[in-house]
Amino acid sequence: MNPLSDGPKAEAITVVLVEDDAPTLWRLQDALAKAGYQVRAAGTLTEARACLAQGAPKVLLTDLQLPDGHGVDLIRETRQRFPETEIMVISILGDEESVISAITVGATGYLLKDAFPTDIAATVRDLVAGHSPISASIARFIVRRTQNTPEPPPGPALNTAKLTPREIDILWGIAKGFSYAEIASHLGLSRQTVPGHIKSIYRKLEVHTRGEAVFEAVQQGLIKL
Amino acid sequence: MNDHGDDAQPDLPGRERRRLQTSRLVQYLLLQALIVAACIFALRQSLPEPPGEYQVTAFRLSESGAERAVTLPYFSSLRHAMNDPPRFAGQFIRPASEAARAWSVFLPRFTNGVEVTVNGVVILDSRRDPAANRPDRNTAQIAVIPASVLHDGANDVSIKLFIWGPITGFLDRIWVGPDELLRPSYNLRTLIFVTLPVVFSSWQAILAVILGIMWVMRRHEPAYGVLAAAMAVGVGQAFLQTPMGETPFSRLNVILISSAPIESGLVLTFALLFSGWKWQRYGWIIFIPGVLLALAGLFGSQAMVRALFLYLAVPMVGLSLLIIAVVTARSMLKRRNVASLLLGCAVTIMLTCWVVDLLSVFQMMPNRIFTARLSYSAMLVAIGAGLTWRFARALNEVDGFASRLVTQVREAEEKLKASFAREEERARAAALARERTRLMRDLHDGLGGQLVSIVALSERGNGSAPIGDAARAALKDLRLVIDSMDDIGGDLMLALGSWRERAMAQLRPHDIALDWRAVTPQGLPVHPELRPWHVIQIVRLLDEAVTNAVKHANARRITVRIETLAGADGLDRGCITVEDDGTGFEIAPDGAAAGAIKAARGLRNMRSRAARCGAELELSSCAQGTDQGTRVRLTLPHRFPDSDGAAG
Repeated sequence: MNPLSDGPKAEAITVVLVEDDAPTLWRLQDALAKAGYQVRAAGTLTEARACLAQGAPKVLLTDLQLPDGHGVDLIRETRQRFPETEIMVISILGDEESVISAITVGATGYLLKDAFPTDIAATVRDLVAGHSPISASIARFIVRRTQNTPEPPPGPALNTAKLTPREIDILWGIAKGFSYAEIASHLGLSRQTVPGHIKSIYRKLEVHTRGEAVFEAVQQGLIKL
Repeated sequence: MNDHGDDAQPDLPGRERRRLQTSRLVQYLLLQALIVAACIFALRQSLPEPPGEYQVTAFRLSESGAERAVTLPYFSSLRHAMNDPPRFAGQFIRPASEAARAWSVFLPRFTNGVEVTVNGVVILDSRRDPAANRPDRNTAQIAVIPASVLHDGANDVSIKLFIWGPITGFLDRIWVGPDELLRPSYNLRTLIFVTLPVVFSSWQAILAVILGIMWVMRRHEPAYGVLAAAMAVGVGQAFLQTPMGETPFSRLNVILISSAPIESGLVLTFALLFSGWKWQRYGWIIFIPGVLLALAGLFGSQAMVRALFLYLAVPMVGLSLLIIAVVTARSMLKRRNVASLLLGCAVTIMLTCWVVDLLSVFQMMPNRIFTARLSYSAMLVAIGAGLTWRFARALNEVDGFASRLVTQVREAEEKLKASFAREEERARAAALARERTRLMRDLHDGLGGQLVSIVALSERGNGSAPIGDAARAALKDLRLVIDSMDDIGGDLMLALGSWRERAMAQLRPHDIALDWRAVTPQGLPVHPELRPWHVIQIVRLLDEAVTNAVKHANARRITVRIETLAGADGLDRGCITVEDDGTGFEIAPDGAAAGAIKAARGLRNMRSRAARCGAELELSSCAQGTDQGTRVRLTLPHRFPDSDGAAG
């Protein structure tokens, strides 16, 4: 969200882009290609899986409503197969309804479909650099879930139990529109540690089912079938 | 107390409490000592007497055949002398000048009965007056000597003293003189020793009825029943007459005889129950003397009963008084209530009088006036006062309880209202959230996707950039509406957080920096009454300010300051300032921009939005100098209005 100034062109960074609306797909592809990314575009879930079969991309950008399935499934699969891949949701409104469900399966933030090309490139660049962007509205949604209310607010399920008080404080700061530097100075942190905390928040919000744990164990060779 | 207090450790509550108890006990005992002193002082006052010149004290006493000179007052050692009573013979002088006035014989005090003879004529037999036959009543007697019997010079007067127990005989000094001089003294004694007891007995009867009713209505408080019984016995004792001789009703005498120990036993029981003692089976011990005396009266002779009275009834009364004194003192120290204090004081008075009576029975006092029975009235007054006090206190408690109940009911009502309002608020928030979710899905699937397509298509075509901008603006507005509908718990900062992101996205293509400064750490105050429509108005107002800076001011930097200001009225108000370093413009006196019509309309819009939220909008602009630029300062209300009635 805080774009860095124009940095060096990313060389041979592969991005898998999944978007069913053709004009949108084109403009996103244009923006990324102009920024030097190697883009593999897909319009459906099947095409996306085919793209992924070619090898692990550095970045996966995917829409959620696809003609032959849901982007959440794609994110979950990718997360399991390629843990190193950074995943981001392409959203029309940046609404928490869709974004949070994507976060719980392993996505990191979202990209607005009407974002300016420079912003698109900057966002992906930050993501590749290891920064995990988080929007104020998503932070707000998460912190409101950490507050004790008699009944959970509507919207997707979210388990915030693992978040530490410090992480929650950081989320409050983001929700209220403070920059990382401001948050860091308020909380007595170093500015550089804030993105790490945010990444940790994303990981803690991810849901690990039993099946996923087994799958991961198999992938890492801990269990032999 | 002082030497006690010096080494007492104040941090020991037990010590402290004991010290306090001791101090209270000493205070109480001092008060009782004062009462005893006052009683003795009052008892030492002798009643007014007729002139001394008419007093006759020198008599010749014939007793069991022997004759000797005595001086009144005379204490006889006999306990029973009916058939051969001691006879006192004396003389008095009636001057010739007094022949025209009526003369009387006045006997202020005697036990038990007298027969007065003047010049051989019997003029008075006290045994025919029932009141005079009660040795406890101190009844005085007066008799007018018929003129025919009297003669000038020396006249003989002789008195037969009848004694029938239980105490020994006594004859006080007598007066023989003009009736008009003797009668006031007699009247006073009758008032004090005959009329007053009747009045008190009536009061006792009333108390008996009141207490009886109280006991009937409140069966769980047997103390009142016991006291009612005591009062009833007392009334019976006062109005029953002592029959002389063995009449068919003489057996009723037992009631009279045994009433004193029974009454004192009942009063003792009351005092014990009143002080919190639970009735025990061995409590019947209290009534043994009275019952024994009653049985003796029913089956024995009167003489035996009278003898027993002295050994059973009198000590029983004294013992009861002693126990009551101790019990009330303890109760007073423990509960510190007025009723116990009154009762304790009354018991002290009675006890003092009882001791004085005992001394006079044993002839250790110069006279024989019994005051114990009379002092019982003090107890009756104390009981009446105690009852009234308790009744008044109970009424106060009822009042207090009622008002407390009213308060509690009101509080409960308010709580209920509040919880109802909270529940309503929660339901409203939940409905809003559901509606927002539904709307979001709709917009996401429909309008949102189409607008995004327009943006994408416009970028491909040439010269259709305005269309793309319009579509982007529409998307931005859509996000604003959806964002504002979110439940932010009254924290406007949460809405401003999203707004900052959108504003930054808007400013980035124009290379305008957004400087975000939260001057006060908490930012803005929390407004529980904040509604989505307030948020939309404020955010749109801020959007307008930013858009003006982008489109008209040619600004390079926009500064947003967020702070909480303490108002002059002590209420905190949030304040948001949007400042740019652009070209600025002239502001017409009416507050509208003097320049472009479009900008003027924008400013009017901003004013109208601020007014709807009850906020104050302050615009200042400067075309030149270091302060160049436009400043929009929005001061939020302390409380947001419920409806946008302030629209203008």
